[in-house]
Amino acid sequence: MSGQAKGRIFPVVVISFFCVTILAGLFGTLLPSLNYLPVIGYTRISLSAWFDFFSYPGIQASFLVTVFSGITASVGVVSLAFLFITFSYGTALWKFFEKILSPVLSIPHAAFAVGFGFLIAPSGWFIRMVSPALTGFTIPPDWIILNDPAGVSLTIALVIKEFPFLIMVTMGALGQLDIKKTLLVGRALGYSKEQIWLKILIPRLYPHLRLSIFAVIAYSLSVVDMAIILGPSSPSSLSVLILKWFNDPDVSFKLLAAAGSLFLFVIVLLSILCVYFMERAVGVFLRPWITNGNRRCFLSPLKPIIFFMGCGTLFFTAVSSVILVIWSLTWQWRFPDFLPTTWTLTFWAKGLMSSFDPVMTTLFTGVASAFIGLLLAIGCLEHEVAAGKTKTRNYTGYLHYFLYLPLLVPQITFMAGIQFFLVIMKLDGYWISLMVSHLLFVLPYMFIALSATYLAFYERVTDQAMLLKRSYIIVLFRVKLPMLIKPILFSFAIGFSVSVAQYIPTMLVGAGRFSTITTEVVSIASGSDRRAIAVYALIQQFLPMVMYAFAIILPKILYYNRKGMQV
Amino acid sequence: MKRFLLIFSGVLVLAIFSQAVAKDWSEIEMQAKGQTVYFNAWGGSQTINEYIQWAARQVQKKYNVRVIHVKVSDISDVVSRILVEKAADKKTNGSVDLMWINGENFKAMKENKLLYGPFSQKLPYYQLVDLENKKTLLYDFTTPVDNMESPWGMAQLVFSYDSKQVKKHPKNMLDLLAFARKNPGRFTYPSIPGFHGTTFIKQVLYELIHDPEVLNQTVVPCDFEKNTQPLWDFLDALHPFLWRKAKVFPTSASQMVSLLNDNEIFISFSFNPNSVSNAIKNGELPDTIRTYIHTKGTIGNAHFVGIPFNSSARQGAMVFANFLLSPEAQARKADPTIWGDPTVLDTQKLVGRDKVLFDAVPKGIATLTPKELGQGLPEPHVSWVQALEKKWLEIYSK
Repeated sequence: MSGQAKGRIFPVVVISFFCVTILAGLFGTLLPSLNYLPVIGYTRISLSAWFDFFSYPGIQASFLVTVFSGITASVGVVSLAFLFITFSYGTALWKFFEKILSPVLSIPHAAFAVGFGFLIAPSGWFIRMVSPALTGFTIPPDWIILNDPAGVSLTIALVIKEFPFLIMVTMGALGQLDIKKTLLVGRALGYSKEQIWLKILIPRLYPHLRLSIFAVIAYSLSVVDMAIILGPSSPSSLSVLILKWFNDPDVSFKLLAAAGSLFLFVIVLLSILCVYFMERAVGVFLRPWITNGNRRCFLSPLKPIIFFMGCGTLFFTAVSSVILVIWSLTWQWRFPDFLPTTWTLTFWAKGLMSSFDPVMTTLFTGVASAFIGLLLAIGCLEHEVAAGKTKTRNYTGYLHYFLYLPLLVPQITFMAGIQFFLVIMKLDGYWISLMVSHLLFVLPYMFIALSATYLAFYERVTDQAMLLKRSYIIVLFRVKLPMLIKPILFSFAIGFSVSVAQYIPTMLVGAGRFSTITTEVVSIASGSDRRAIAVYALIQQFLPMVMYAFAIILPKILYYNRKGMQV
Repeated sequence: MKRFLLIFSGVLVLAIFSQAVAKDWSEIEMQAKGQTVYFNAWGGSQTINEYIQWAARQVQKKYNVRVIHVKVSDISDVVSRILVEKAADKKTNGSVDLMWINGENFKAMKENKLLYGPFSQKLPYYQLVDLENKKTLLYDFTTPVDNMESPWGMAQLVFSYDSKQVKKHPKNMLDLLAFARKNPGRFTYPSIPGFHGTTFIKQVLYELIHDPEVLNQTVVPCDFEKNTQPLWDFLDALHPFLWRKAKVFPTSASQMVSLLNDNEIFISFSFNPNSVSNAIKNGELPDTIRTYIHTKGTIGNAHFVGIPFNSSARQGAMVFANFLLSPEAQARKADPTIWGDPTVLDTQKLVGRDKVLFDAVPKGIATLTPKELGQGLPEPHVSWVQALEKKWLEIYSK
């Protein structure tokens, strides 16, 4: 057998899809940034938009806030994640995390941000809990906590939200390391568990996490929905500013927005490059530390703090949901009461009725994009497996380079460009276009979630099955995929939640014909009624959770009679 | 005799004209049957959303036109989208059939030829609109309307305060400054650029400017500094006593309602004289909140609905716009237990059942009477908006 492995159409399709859309998007943003936007009369290429961008009042402060919150959050969450694994791997806490991670991850960013804001505001729940008993406040203090100009509350929220994501990716990657053996050898040599982690396992883990860390950096620098809710307002972070410009009634601001979004992209690229070079530097400088033979771990005193912080992220996420539930059932709740004075179900009744259509749209789009994403991901992975067996070119290997593209380029930067081309091709406003635009972001996450486990499958089983029944397709569907049903369903749930959380693609590609629960949450969040916001945010949270529950329960039901599938 | 002939011919012309209009209109109603109208409007208020749902149901029943409320958080998004459609030469089947706009957005759309029209003169109920007394229905932020958008409701800047915390409310901006000094951190305004924040500083400018006449004309750059100096002096004095010491501004006027409810601030403001009564009814605000305006008057304007140039359901859109102007819809809209948005109709012109509808509209617990509200100061020329926003950002956005 020579030539190509089967199924190379899959990676080829996926790679072209990513490349075409992202390049089109970037090109569609580059032109307006150079003053080329015929519809509003700009046809001469010039750099005036860039001049306007750099001289916009408050732009330096905006830039500093963006970089501060983005980099601090990224550094914070990565350090926290590494230290957390170091101290808690194998403990009961780690096992607890393994179980609790899926529901925590499924909470959409906007819903979490809203709940978190309700907690930490000076008129929020935490202060209400201790007022007036401990603080003597009968009216809320004039403290700057929420929306602080330095972006601290935004940074903390980003760390809390991204920590579970990193832990999840780490859990996936841990399967690739030989942890037990390494720990065994290391301990035999007299090193403590923490030392082995810090000196050996984490450096080995890092390459697997590298791209996810870059994605975290890109997200922290360009986040919009959380920044609107929790970030500084005057001046706001760059991404929020760009969105405001893009929507300004003065249409010449679109040129400014295009320039700004490209600049944001450059910031992301530079940050990633910095990290890349730091990797090399760290590798050189820390080598002596790794080999210095020191058996004591100087970081041990940090253990309780790290545990506390790790649990803190879970705690905040959980309590954010609780406060949303309380607000959704409130009629009247004034400061400083600990709980509402009057309760009601009115807002749930209203919310469920009025959200029916958006919820249906969200469900259809989510299921469709997750399903197609699954087909493509499995296709690519099967190709990789086949290429490995026949030692031919592995096209899916190339996919790894392109996979993270949609996650590394800020959404604002290329979605506007894509919309432009879609309108020209008269493809906007169709559900198919909407679903495909979601697919662009669903695929990477699904692929990341699925690939490690999929590739670790014990192929001897399929080889045996092929001996018994020569049809590859039948073997795939009757032996391999059923055995992999848990990771497959899990990755489906992840893909579904990613689709649910999409805001900018739905707004631009959907051309206002489609409302998803997320566009509803954001449009309602611009109002004042916390009760209505809470109901919608909870509905938004609920949808992915249902999928995760489905992913956990279905295998148990299907394979109740197979002990090996019960794990 | 001559006079009689004159009147007779006048009536005849009017009759023929109105027949022609009526014939035009019944044709439009025919074409509208079965159309689906995508109505893009701000979706941040449940009260307004519910009103739109009611109106949609009525129009479905009466005219067989299906109206879908597309909730947007910022109507400028929609203007952007239509702009892109124009760029791509999408002349029919536009994604928006009717949109809720005014002010800057209207100007942008009119100048870029994104609107279909003139059309509002074709709407039968447009005859009932109060064009004599409500000048702002003819000039939207000083941009001539020219029938390119159909009126929907009125707005006027009213201040709201918690009567439990504030015994004597301010009567003008200087009083407000004194209040802020005595109660630091209990007043604020939404961030600029932004409709409400900008209107607040326009109001300050109106009260403090040496010659208010210049506001009706285009801003003159060399005089701008001189004219607006009192405004910046005032804000410099006010900011240290604002909520969060002016380091953080609320993102929207709606957020200020929550702040007032939580007593984070004691004084707030909004554009709908009935919004406080409505909020009290919904439990969003306690019933100790009341409204007031400054003794010399506050800025008022109107909001409209417009039809994009590439809508393929424009007859349906016009039927819906006409329904929104009907006495039934306007009276229900003016009811503070439903929405409380003031009407654009001349209630003096109404007769019979229509008049009864309006007389029956309850007065909100926190609403000022029309007499107390007065006429409303006109909006300054739209060029002032950009100039003021730019200068504010330069000074205060660091």
